[in-house]
Amino acid sequence: MNLDFSQMVPYIPFMLEGIWVTLKFVFFAIILGAIFGTLLALCKISHIKPLRWAADAYTSVFRGTPLILQLMIIYYAVPQLTGYDIDAFLAAILAFGLNSSAYISEIIRAGIQAVDKGQMEAAHALGIPYRAMMKDIILPQALKNILPALMNEFITLTKESAIVSTIGYLDLMRRAQVVGADLFRNFEPLLFVGVIYWCLVMGLTVIGRMFERRLKKSD
Amino acid sequence: MIKVEKLHKSFGNHEVLKDITTEIKKGQVVSIIGPSGSGKSTFLRCLNLLETPTSGTIWIDGQNLMESTKENQKVRQQIGMVFQHFHLFPHMTVLENLTYAPIKVKGEKKAAAEEKARALLKRVGLAPKEKAYPSSLSGGQKQRVAIARALAMEPELMLFDEPTSALDPEMVKEVLDVMKDLAKSGMTMAVVTHEMGFAREVADRVLFLDHGVLVEEGNPVEFFNNPKTDRARDFLEKVL
Repeated sequence: MNLDFSQMVPYIPFMLEGIWVTLKFVFFAIILGAIFGTLLALCKISHIKPLRWAADAYTSVFRGTPLILQLMIIYYAVPQLTGYDIDAFLAAILAFGLNSSAYISEIIRAGIQAVDKGQMEAAHALGIPYRAMMKDIILPQALKNILPALMNEFITLTKESAIVSTIGYLDLMRRAQVVGADLFRNFEPLLFVGVIYWCLVMGLTVIGRMFERRLKKSD
Repeated sequence: MIKVEKLHKSFGNHEVLKDITTEIKKGQVVSIIGPSGSGKSTFLRCLNLLETPTSGTIWIDGQNLMESTKENQKVRQQIGMVFQHFHLFPHMTVLENLTYAPIKVKGEKKAAAEEKARALLKRVGLAPKEKAYPSSLSGGQKQRVAIARALAMEPELMLFDEPTSALDPEMVKEVLDVMKDLAKSGMTMAVVTHEMGFAREVADRVLFLDHGVLVEEGNPVEFFNNPKTDRARDFLEKVL
């Protein structure tokens, strides 16, 4: 066995900083994905055909092509087209947020459609306007049913975020590669960030469970 | 207060309501009865536009409900509805179920809405349950909350769509008692029901539907003792 963690010690603060870098863009990507995904889901169940059509087309494109390709297009190809020099942080948020919204919209659509039709009828009979009905009555019930699926999506996003290392963004993964190249030793830094990713996902899982318990209080 | 003229409703090629013309006067309690699939629920649901009629006109307080205007939205707020399966909002407490629409739709103050809601809960005998969630209530309690929720909007007309059909037998009475009390207070009510006892005792008028046709209407004493049509007689023989 040729393992020596002691050489890695000076690099630990550098790698730990990657937690913050990764979390920062994952956080914004999740927010973007959740908001845009909800809007897409509302389009998908709308009575207006062009809206439905556009939302379906969007989903088919973003689900039908590799995430790494979308990231490359946003980071490398968009500047060529527009002349705007996008930075890696923004490109990462956009790529992950837009990609994730396609998946989230499908989860939310299924969740809304699983809410008893009678809930909408009751809201209708009470004269509750569409927006208030969705916000206060339908979506909270849908959210309860889809929470496990949503958490799954957020966990996937957190792990897949390692792909941004390909555009040179100094996230956890990229930092492990940098350290590995510096030391000519790869196993130790990769193992180190591997454990960190696992801890992040465990943290998300715990938060998800807490939410689930809170939503269950009406059962 | 509500007038229905030549009402038709089709689902695809299937004609569920055929040329219904009738009237419900203010303060009247009307029972709508008939065999399963006769269109009685669809008829009721047309009255507050949960189903859009294929043709015909519905007038409420002289307003044509088929023309969609701002004023019609207001008119529809005056119609309360109680469903067979309650449809309470499961993520809200009993009190929140009662106050949500008055606050959101009519802009009532929270304190005023809660005060009114508590009075209504007392009236249906559920004052101690205001903090409970619907999942902890029995069927009969749920339906009484649903009635109170509809009343919280201060409607002038209440529609009941088989309000006791999903209940265990021992809970039917508590719901019917609330409805009788409501009828006595002068509420205008349209009730789709299989409870012939209720139709006979409480209703001022009975509508009998069969295969989407309004076959017979009249006062309950006459209807139950001496039905004019063969179809009504046949139906009554089976259910009584």
